[in-house]
Amino acid sequence: MYKLLLSWRYLKTRFIALASIVSVTLGVATLIVVNSVMSGFIGEMQDRLHGILSDVEIASPGLGEISWPELHVREIERIVGDDLQAVTYVVRVPALMNFEFRGRQWTQQIMLMGIDEKTFGQVTDFNPYLLNSNNRNAIDFQLNESGYDERIGECGWEYRRQKEENRQRIEEMIGGSMNVPTTEPVPDEQVAQAAPGTVTFAPLPSIAPTHQQDGELPQASPPGQQDPPVELSAFDPHADLRQHVSPEEMFNPARDQHTGIVLGMAIASRQFMDQEGERQELFMVRPGDDIQITLPTSGPTPSPITENCTIVDFYSSNMHEYDSTFAFMSLRKLQEIRRMIDPVTGSSTVSSIQVKLKDGADLDAVRDKLIAFFPPDQYPYVIQTWQDTQRPLLSAVNMEVTILNILLFLIIAVAGFGILATFFMIVVEKTKDIGILKALGAPSHGVMSIFLSYGVSLGTVGTGVGIVLGLVIVYFINDIAAAIQWATGREIFDPTIYYFSQIPTAVNPMTVFLVALGAVAIAVLASVLPALRAARLHPVEALRYE
Amino acid sequence: MSEAAQTRLRQTNKTGRRNKGSRAPLSVNFPKILSVSNLHKSYYKGRMEVPVLKGIDAQLFEGEFTAIVGQSGSGKSTLLHLLGTLDAPDQGEIWFQDRRVDNLPARQQERIRNRDFGMIFQFYHLLPELTTVENVLVPRMVQDNFFQYMRNKKKYLDRAKELLDTVGLSHRLNHRPNQLSGGEMQRTAIARALISEPTVLLADEPTGNLDGDSGGEVMETLLNLQRTESLTIVMVTHDNAIAEKADRIIRLVDGKVE
Repeated sequence: MYKLLLSWRYLKTRFIALASIVSVTLGVATLIVVNSVMSGFIGEMQDRLHGILSDVEIASPGLGEISWPELHVREIERIVGDDLQAVTYVVRVPALMNFEFRGRQWTQQIMLMGIDEKTFGQVTDFNPYLLNSNNRNAIDFQLNESGYDERIGECGWEYRRQKEENRQRIEEMIGGSMNVPTTEPVPDEQVAQAAPGTVTFAPLPSIAPTHQQDGELPQASPPGQQDPPVELSAFDPHADLRQHVSPEEMFNPARDQHTGIVLGMAIASRQFMDQEGERQELFMVRPGDDIQITLPTSGPTPSPITENCTIVDFYSSNMHEYDSTFAFMSLRKLQEIRRMIDPVTGSSTVSSIQVKLKDGADLDAVRDKLIAFFPPDQYPYVIQTWQDTQRPLLSAVNMEVTILNILLFLIIAVAGFGILATFFMIVVEKTKDIGILKALGAPSHGVMSIFLSYGVSLGTVGTGVGIVLGLVIVYFINDIAAAIQWATGREIFDPTIYYFSQIPTAVNPMTVFLVALGAVAIAVLASVLPALRAARLHPVEALRYE
Repeated sequence: MSEAAQTRLRQTNKTGRRNKGSRAPLSVNFPKILSVSNLHKSYYKGRMEVPVLKGIDAQLFEGEFTAIVGQSGSGKSTLLHLLGTLDAPDQGEIWFQDRRVDNLPARQQERIRNRDFGMIFQFYHLLPELTTVENVLVPRMVQDNFFQYMRNKKKYLDRAKELLDTVGLSHRLNHRPNQLSGGEMQRTAIARALISEPTVLLADEPTGNLDGDSGGEVMETLLNLQRTESLTIVMVTHDNAIAEKADRIIRLVDGKVE
């Protein structure tokens, strides 16, 4: 009883001891904030890293190919068994993307992924990151009329028609100034490029305007289209072809699209700060625009091949590495372009086979089983889990967390020495009281527990306040960051770097519990020594102490 | 045994104020309560041995007021500490109620200190964080665990108030020691020494730090208690005027009984 009463009275009368516990409070709060933010980052990062990576991947290194993928899948199904959820094929090939922006041609390298429309979304988290809501359930690589994210602004079919209309109007104006007969139709794009040298190519475009009529653009009917010229130039190489192509079959940008392609958001756009300091996004191309993709063909002597593509959607995982690298195309289409389909057997080759496992399955175990079946000395395959693929990054982040935790825990340990010193002073100050208690028959362990419970209560109070403080900071971390930014004028959290719009946090109850446990343990440990000293005091000497 | 002590004993027997069954039976002619034989105690200053007690033999009787007198450094406080089991002798024996106590385990010595001895010190030694009444209750708090104490709290509190009333401090129940005068603090200490209903009161110069009036009041209180509660009092003092009020005097000179 006297133990409780006395340690309570010591608490009430010695506020300086609370000062020593403030360091515990701050240490605990910092640990909680740092751990929450770090695990928020890691969680968000892992989600995004995992985004378009499958659980386990069997890939051919470099530009190599896996032949007879169907047979592989049959074996994989057998090996993985019940854990298997879905399988898909992917063709991965580096490519060059060429597009026109503000009158100039721009070229950029990308990693082109040929994906299976149906199964890729089952194996990875690809679909939710698409910016067109229609594509989120299933992607068909067709340009949509609507449903695009507001961020992109004008895009889709309406944008494509408008663009085509504008182009025609400009062509008309140019055509007029160039003294091309007004009855002459506006030439097709490619022809227009060639126009300066071949003004006599007049008849060529005659077909195009007829499509425009088919495209049902009321104002797109240039005069004279009812009057298709027949006197084709003798050296027109396509003359023969043109005669056999009906107007409906001719490509019309206002109505038709090329091969559909999905671009990573950061390939297509640039972020910048405008003069007011607001973040702006500049789109160099939009869904609806056409681009050219140049990529190597498959086989022993790769040669470049260029394909016209129409952007049908953007992919925005907010993982800059992915968003600025990957473009997606239909697997079948890419295999055709790269000539990966065996004309005889009809079997195609792929770059990798991606496997999705059921929740809770042991990825590493499955990977090891697959490696055992496809031994590296016989099959030139790289078999990895998604974590293996991102191992360097993940382990770097994990090491960062570990080191931060150690450093911050040292802060609490330092606080422990503060408590030790304070408690020693209190024991010295209370020497006489300890003597009195012993003279009145209090046992040594009773005296000891006064100081131990004193330490425990201070540690508990300090830790409790620290937890509350930490959680409050975590809860309001974005407001706090904004306030600091406002006060200092320096940006603390730059979304262009992290591609997170906010600081992500994740409070792990286990971490909070362990931090609290550790802090209380340190407070108790720091009070054990002074308490032992108090218990060992000789009553006569303690009483003589003045 | 001195004449005075025997007188004292006879008076006690006559008035029949003995009421504690646990005590030695009255049929014993000389109810010895505390006795020491051949007691030696030295202190060490570094490597140098400083002998304080050099073979003390003494007996204390129930209901008696014994004064231990002597000059500073004669070892009288040390003897009192040894009697109160606060310290262990280098040699010799201490007997309390037919039991040798100097070599008992710490737990039992603590029990004896708590229940059988009441202690009063020159510098009062109250706990500054506690109020008067709480200070008085400390031995009871030490004695009981939390639940026992809570159960008996009412009883203890009544007794504490009664004792404080006896020593004339019923108006100071909730004052802190630093709000009390020296005499009041010493009287609080007396009340604390009595709360556990002890057999022996060990007092180490209880008036040593008080002015004449306060000291007189404290002595008056103690003598009253000895009469009304038939308390055995052992008091260390260097004041001959006080010593003269005692039934018996043990005079120490240079670590020996004169």
